[in-house]
Amino acid sequence: MNVLFQKFKEVLFAVTPVTVIVLILNFTLTPLDYHLLVRFLLGAFLIIIGLTIFLFGVEIGITPIGNLMGNALTRSNKVWFVGLAGLILGFFISIAEPDLHILAGQVQTVTAGVLSQTSIVVVVSVGIAVLLTLGLFRIVYNLPLNKMLTLIYLLILILGIFSSSGFIAISFDASGATTGALTVPFMLALAYGVSSLKKNGTASEEDSFGLVGVASAGAILAVIVMSLFSRGDELSGSLELQITQSSSIIAPFLHELPTVAGNIILALLPLLITFLFFQKFSIQLPRRAFKKIIKGLLYTFIGLVLFLTGVNAGFMDVGSLVGYRLAMLEQPWLVFLIGYILGLAVILAEPAVYVLTTQIENVTSGYVKRRIVLFALSLGVGCAVTLSMVRILIPGVHLWHFLLPGYIISISLSYVVPSLFVGIAFDAGGVASGPMTATFVLAFAQGVAEATESANVLIDGFGVIAMVALTPLIALQVLGFIYKIKSQKVGVDHG
Amino acid sequence: MGNNAGSGEWVLLCAIVNFGAAGKVMSVLRQQGVTGGTIFLGKGTVRNHLLEILDLNDIRKEIVLSVTLSSLADRALEALNKQLTLYKPHHGIAFTIPVKGQIGIHHPEAPDQSEERRGGNKPMHNAIFVIVDKGKAEEVVEAAKSVGARGATVINARGSGIHETQKLFAMSIEPEKEIVMILAQTELTDAIVSKVSEELQIEEPGKGIMFILNVDKTYGLYD
Repeated sequence: MNVLFQKFKEVLFAVTPVTVIVLILNFTLTPLDYHLLVRFLLGAFLIIIGLTIFLFGVEIGITPIGNLMGNALTRSNKVWFVGLAGLILGFFISIAEPDLHILAGQVQTVTAGVLSQTSIVVVVSVGIAVLLTLGLFRIVYNLPLNKMLTLIYLLILILGIFSSSGFIAISFDASGATTGALTVPFMLALAYGVSSLKKNGTASEEDSFGLVGVASAGAILAVIVMSLFSRGDELSGSLELQITQSSSIIAPFLHELPTVAGNIILALLPLLITFLFFQKFSIQLPRRAFKKIIKGLLYTFIGLVLFLTGVNAGFMDVGSLVGYRLAMLEQPWLVFLIGYILGLAVILAEPAVYVLTTQIENVTSGYVKRRIVLFALSLGVGCAVTLSMVRILIPGVHLWHFLLPGYIISISLSYVVPSLFVGIAFDAGGVASGPMTATFVLAFAQGVAEATESANVLIDGFGVIAMVALTPLIALQVLGFIYKIKSQKVGVDHG
Repeated sequence: MGNNAGSGEWVLLCAIVNFGAAGKVMSVLRQQGVTGGTIFLGKGTVRNHLLEILDLNDIRKEIVLSVTLSSLADRALEALNKQLTLYKPHHGIAFTIPVKGQIGIHHPEAPDQSEERRGGNKPMHNAIFVIVDKGKAEEVVEAAKSVGARGATVINARGSGIHETQKLFAMSIEPEKEIVMILAQTELTDAIVSKVSEELQIEEPGKGIMFILNVDKTYGLYD
């Protein structure tokens, strides 16, 4: 039984911190209503169970599919095949991502319909598809990751100058939204599948990472380009914060369940279809292995449904209420501090973070330890949440005041840090902005914004995900720098 | 230094433990005077009916290899057995394989000559290594288990024989392989070898290779 128990224990340790913090807040600064608290605990329970099952599902379902496809693509040795497959996969995976639809819906509201939901979803998916393909080409043609990222972000900077600041926030958020709990494990596995074939061990290690980072930049580019063509200059409209006031405990969960289940089926469908296609025409796995993968997909589905139901019904309202009540205390430093602590804790419960850290351990044979990566990531996200609070509470501070220097630092670092860590860092950016952040942290930020007169809930809400996606880039590259210094051999003369 | 040929036999000490325990193995080895080791990841199997139905029976393992003098290895094995409680089921295994020679290992302390090498007994176990294309390891393990093997460790690897060298796009390719390591009692070795070779047609060119080593001492194997 120890496999099950071990995974369960890991997940328990991941979810406990955020639960404990909210409980402490409940008894001290921000008392919550009884039914809300019970819902929160029920949510935490569902999250623990769901995450455990989901991680097993990824391990035996999603990851093998990605690896096999990456392998099969490369073995075809045909440029058009890799290109076509990259485009199709990228487009359908991203169009099926539930987070993207939510974001696009919000954008439609603030732009008063100038940008329709459908057009945003389609444009972002095209952006992801193109960049995913370029990212795959990068691996097979051995192009350096840092140069490619420099080019991409330079392009974003140039286009960003002509774009309004509201759209910049949306575009960076879009990049976070498209890299959800399903997409990231799949892209990681795909990159590993392609690069694991390489003869050069170091290159094969380094190129296993970076694909998520490149692909998510596609979303940023797509939205910025789109904003240049639409004439709606400034964002207007606003969104009322809704806290479900139903005093029922079970009803919100039952209400969420079918929606979530539908979304996940939709998101899994492209993976399933392409897998079946590959199975029939290219990989032809033995029956046993095929059945195992199908089981894995089933676990993924069950796990993710439980997880997201728990997050949406149990965590979201609590997040915004805690944010609201905290900001009402009118003690800015308190908001910064609690934001920091929440950021530290929430990221530990993010599903894709587990997948990424496991892959890092596997690829580097345990050289880069999970705990250290988690630690760096956690510090980074804590800073991100605090900086977002600064932006909401202090009117003069804009998102680009953080983004511009942040990305300049990240890109510069990528020239001095070992390439392995550049890839890991840019992937971690996409990983950190998963469903947990997108709901709980975002809800917290919106709660704070609601209680702050100078802030607009929706407009200041945008950009939080962007910050969470930015800080890991710096945190993990700094970690890589430390590794570089520390791993010089002691007691051996250098020539 | 390095010319220790006359002062004792060399052995390869190999420990297979659950993921995360390799650090502990290394520190035990260092306490016993072993100078270094190499760690890599592998995959083991669990025997549990429920988990097998759920297909959750893979477990991550860490493997530690270290070439050292047999007198040191004996002490180290005892220490590992005690400190990592290998005598309990599911806590990992450790064993030594005789090594013919080595280059590059410098022992700061002279090997303890006074300690008699216990044993000299006939090897009780064999280590069977099978190297096959990626994805085939599971078949190997199944075949070996069907004739009595207790478990196996699978290691991901790359390599290429004369039958496969390729260049795809701008990258040189070394196809992925899986190494399956099976520890078996010597009585079972022949049965396992012939079953695996029959199931996977190892004797045909390009299907993989298989070899067998004698194992001196084992800890943590149970029946």
